Amino acid sequence: MPKDATHAPDTLLDVRNLSVDFRTPRGRVKALRDISFPIRKNRIIGIVGESGSGKSTVLWALLGLLAKNAEVTSGEVRFGDRDLLHASEAQLRATRGEEISVVFQDPMTSQIPVLTYGRQMRDILYRRPNVTTVEKRRMAVEMLGKVGIPDPDKRIDQYPHHFSGGMRQRAGIAMALLTGPQLLLADEPTTALDVTMEAQIIHLLQDLQKELDATVVVVSHNLGLIAELCDDVVVMYAGEVIEAGEVHEIFHNAQHPYTRALLECDPARIDDVSRKLPVIPGDIPDLTKPLSGCIYASRCQRAMPICRQQTPPTITRGEMSLARCHLLDGPHHDPDWPPPLDVMTVGKGEAGARKPARVKRDDPLLEVSDLNVQFETVGPLRARLKGITQRHVDAVLDVSLSVAPGETVGLVGESGSGKTTLGRTVLNLVPARSGSVKFEGREIRNMPEGRFKPLRRDMAMMFQDPVGSLSPRKSVRALITEPFQIHGISGVNLDDEAERLADMVRLPKPFLSRYPHELSGGQARRVGVARALALNPKLIIADEPTAGLDVSVQGEILNLMTDLQAEHGLGYLVITHNLPVVRHIADRLAIMYLGRIVEEGRTAEVFNRPVHPYTQALVEGVPQPDPDRRRVHVSISGEVPSLLNRPKGCDFATRCPYAQDRCRAEKPPHVTMADGRRHACHFPLGQ
Amino acid sequence: MLYYLTKRLGLSAVVVCLVVLVLFSLLHLIPGDPATIALGPRATPEAIARYAEKMHLDEPVWRQFMIYVANAATGDLGLDVFSDRPVTAIIMERIGFTLALVGTGMGWAMLLGIPLGCLAAVKPNSWLDRITGVFSVGTIAVPSFLVSIWALLIFAVHLRWLPAIGAGEPGDLGDQVSHLILPAFAIGLSWVGYLARMVRASMLEVMGENYIRSARAFGLRPRRVIFGYALRVAILPTITLIGMGFGGMISSTVFAEIIFARPGIGKLIFDAVTARNFPIVQGAVLVATGLYILVVLISDILIAWFDPRVRESL
Repeated sequence: MPKDATHAPDTLLDVRNLSVDFRTPRGRVKALRDISFPIRKNRIIGIVGESGSGKSTVLWALLGLLAKNAEVTSGEVRFGDRDLLHASEAQLRATRGEEISVVFQDPMTSQIPVLTYGRQMRDILYRRPNVTTVEKRRMAVEMLGKVGIPDPDKRIDQYPHHFSGGMRQRAGIAMALLTGPQLLLADEPTTALDVTMEAQIIHLLQDLQKELDATVVVVSHNLGLIAELCDDVVVMYAGEVIEAGEVHEIFHNAQHPYTRALLECDPARIDDVSRKLPVIPGDIPDLTKPLSGCIYASRCQRAMPICRQQTPPTITRGEMSLARCHLLDGPHHDPDWPPPLDVMTVGKGEAGARKPARVKRDDPLLEVSDLNVQFETVGPLRARLKGITQRHVDAVLDVSLSVAPGETVGLVGESGSGKTTLGRTVLNLVPARSGSVKFEGREIRNMPEGRFKPLRRDMAMMFQDPVGSLSPRKSVRALITEPFQIHGISGVNLDDEAERLADMVRLPKPFLSRYPHELSGGQARRVGVARALALNPKLIIADEPTAGLDVSVQGEILNLMTDLQAEHGLGYLVITHNLPVVRHIADRLAIMYLGRIVEEGRTAEVFNRPVHPYTQALVEGVPQPDPDRRRVHVSISGEVPSLLNRPKGCDFATRCPYAQDRCRAEKPPHVTMADGRRHACHFPLGQ
Repeated sequence: MLYYLTKRLGLSAVVVCLVVLVLFSLLHLIPGDPATIALGPRATPEAIARYAEKMHLDEPVWRQFMIYVANAATGDLGLDVFSDRPVTAIIMERIGFTLALVGTGMGWAMLLGIPLGCLAAVKPNSWLDRITGVFSVGTIAVPSFLVSIWALLIFAVHLRWLPAIGAGEPGDLGDQVSHLILPAFAIGLSWVGYLARMVRASMLEVMGENYIRSARAFGLRPRRVIFGYALRVAILPTITLIGMGFGGMISSTVFAEIIFARPGIGKLIFDAVTARNFPIVQGAVLVATGLYILVVLISDILIAWFDPRVRESL
């Protein structure tokens, strides 16, 4: 512990030499090792890192709410004249929610479902006995109004499930700010939200921080969010702070090879879509084993022998900035490091031509036309009793789409846009009401399962949740050969097949005898890809293929998908809300809104020249990992309406900045433009 | 809500009809003439003929069934074979004793079991948790008639603290309560174990939820977090269990009422079965079924009251 315990007057909270261990059945995990950084007053500080970096552990340590098996082995957290790590439970309770408050990652699960917002917010104000209940309610209503909740005096009596995701997160912010805390912690505040909601929440946090002069800590893996929102940045890797500095320093002049690599891997940053995505090879080190040298050495693009033996020096520049790397100081100092921003430092070996230009064939693999899917919302008896005439909602409305062999089509939309329903309907898992689905020219819509089953060999699904979609009781070997058993294919040597598939998805052989819980997110994804590929399908429907993956790993999966496509001529239908990712792999994009395709065209054209205002909002909604490209305004406000009250005219009219009377009155038909793009807008942009 | 209640009551009526049908079939599946069975082997042919006519035994079985259902719907469950008194009146005399016993038994089990489960879940693997675990398994494993006999031997016969048999003097509340203690202890004991285990399991799950972490991060007092937040959610599956438990308890009162010689539905059914007094058996089982359905319905409504998501989906 350093002796000079005086800290700069503008430091609100100071983390010093914090080390935390977790006791697990595998041994002690050294989750945090010697973490130090200041949190400066009236600034927004971002803690960025991939999964396993310990960024959330830091956050919970600040609140004294570490898991029961955690043990603080050293360090202190100075907040005013107190050390929060060694404060009594009563002192901590007086601090939490009052002086330090939190906005949680997932507003769907972090608010109690059985109490109204009014009650939850009154409970937070319990430490003020001389404020009356009426007054507390007034404070809560005022705060809900401030975070942009319409009709706060009515909505305060509602329960969390009455609120949409974005509204819940707003309410979560209101709860956190209700007591006027000096420090606001935000744990991945937008990860659970859609792109357009994310932009709104970022701006709300920014505005409130200015208005209330608060200090904010944002923990995130999203570089765009950090660049857009933060003043200071702390970069963490495997339980250590490897670099810290002001946001411009980090994003424009990163010193540590890991920070550099992380920035280079972010697909949102890469404009050149003709190359493969860069990746950081390897995995995070096992923190139960004794560590020596630089923690990043095993994955570093510039690793030297000394990196594995000696702890790197810490180079400080000014109050906040530091970086720990042998390249920066000492005998191995490299004056040419870091190279200019346009020089790539990672994934050089993988660079090269992406895929050969596809031979365009005329007959599509999959052809969907005018497909409609409806869901029943009210039973027939209840509908009669209550006089409801509209018993169904349109989950998918007049959708036409085609996928050619060797082509990747991206289906993009926010939650509730019907994109997953469309995918499931194509696979005959959801019955369609009308329209047609043709696979290799053959009508397959609502085919009885008995006749459809042989076709399932040709159409495979990659599921959204990689671990949840694998049976926890089966080994990887059993899992990737399961399709053979499901389809009763005999005469193949399952062990050979398992090894062939593992090879194909570049999964090392020893992994075949592991079980799903022993796999990392990226490895579980590979198993999912192997299962999908087992029977040599022609079409793969991939539902959010990179959801939950770290930036350094998602490139691997996307590159793998691209390679397999080039090799086998697969057709992909990629369902996602992640625009930067889909931009790199899709040949064509279809943008869905409320079950309808609003725009469809070649990826580059859709990105560079959106025709539909919704597409434009989505493209602009992605926060850019560059603090110089911060947006000054949010392009669209409001949120996706419920399917239960679909707007009468254009579905997007309620949120469209260009909406006119005609948009609210009549639904725009699909129009095919001269260059083959299709859109559904009365007043297409740039026309 | 109204729609939901209508639907549930409709379904309940169907269940009651099915129960009546099963009871009726059982009676007719027993070999021999119901009148002979009812009056015993030494009854005179005249008595049997009189009885058969009074009980509509000369009608076809389906008509007998219709008559029974129609009468039951108006609250008429027939006449006692021996005393000729209405079955309904006899059941009504006794039902209070059973309800008091079941209510007290479940009541003390809830008062003890729910907090025990909570505390065990809040500090898993503490000594309290371990003791609760052993105690739960122990009490669940011991059948209630054994508990009844031991309780009777220890507290009534040996220590003479409490009365052994009967339900106490009518009108004397203190005496009635003192007669209630031992049987209520006996039938409630295993429920302390059930409830503690159930509450512990669901509390452990809820305590791991994100919204509990939120409540703690907002600095709420532990008591508020545990009882105001966690228990409010964790109690929901327990309410269902308690609802169904009342049904099980009505059957376990048979033992308790026999051992403690309490006048109640259980004892009534037992005596009626022994004496082949079938109208009483039928009526009492029907009333017990109705009670069970009612309690389950109440527990479902309670859940809806606690959980707004369930409430709105009704």
